Amino acid sequence: MSNPDQSKMKQDCETQRECMEMLQLIVDGEATPEQKSNFLNNHLEQCMPCYKNYHLEVAIRQLLKSKCASQAPQELVDSIKAKVIQNLAS
Amino acid sequence: MEFEETPKQQYSETEKQNIFNNEFMPHINSMYNFGYRLTLDQDDSKDLVQDTYLKAYRFIDSFQQGTNAKAWLFRILKNSFINDYRKKSKEPSKVDYQEVESYYNSEEVDRQITPDLRVEALQDMIGDEISNALNSLDVDFRTVIILCDLEGFKYDEMAKILDIPIGTVRSRLHRARNLLKEKLSEYAKQMGYKNA
Repeated sequence: MSNPDQSKMKQDCETQRECMEMLQLIVDGEATPEQKSNFLNNHLEQCMPCYKNYHLEVAIRQLLKSKCASQAPQELVDSIKAKVIQNLAS
Repeated sequence: MEFEETPKQQYSETEKQNIFNNEFMPHINSMYNFGYRLTLDQDDSKDLVQDTYLKAYRFIDSFQQGTNAKAWLFRILKNSFINDYRKKSKEPSKVDYQEVESYYNSEEVDRQITPDLRVEALQDMIGDEISNALNSLDVDFRTVIILCDLEGFKYDEMAKILDIPIGTVRSRLHRARNLLKEKLSEYAKQMGYKNA
């Protein structure tokens, strides 16, 4: 996405609720290609609140991915494998 | 129950072992994380994940190769959590579901949401803020965020994992994200971001 001239963007969005729903469909990969290109090309770069929201949604997901994942303890992995092998043998 | 829907396969012992090692075990980190975010307790999470994997192995004939193993495992884990752990978990008793959902579906809430949380504030959240914010949400809201944003499940997969209609997946996600943003704005304010 290009870097739009923020001074030329409108500062209010009359359809913010609907836009927010569309925006989440897009970020979730659930929008159709038409919905996506229509919104990105015809709305987002002209609308400041939606432009900001879009970047916020993306940033939150990045933060979640980088901070909220965890690794299973090795002892858990070992224990599961051992129990399953036991199961096979029995 | 998840094991009764699909026609039963009849795998040989070798096939079972292959499926378990190559299709089930690679999801262990995601499964552990899901278990941890549901129970908010490391020991409970280990028990829950182990139970889930043993159950998956026991009912492996209900798993159809070529279908989504991760979604299948997540569904078993979620059901085990509801049946075995939710009752004894340390969380306070749940508020009425319908009530929560209809409250968060009201226009009121959307108006309250501050859209001013800034990306710069998020970038300064280098500690446990996001993790704490996520953990503070009601378990049903927490769950949809984990499934969608962390694990990348599609809405239809989430609907199957959670046994709810797609429309509910969407509205619950929408509310969950608003609540998460609200929490993050609180943190941002504490960090000194005025407009957050």
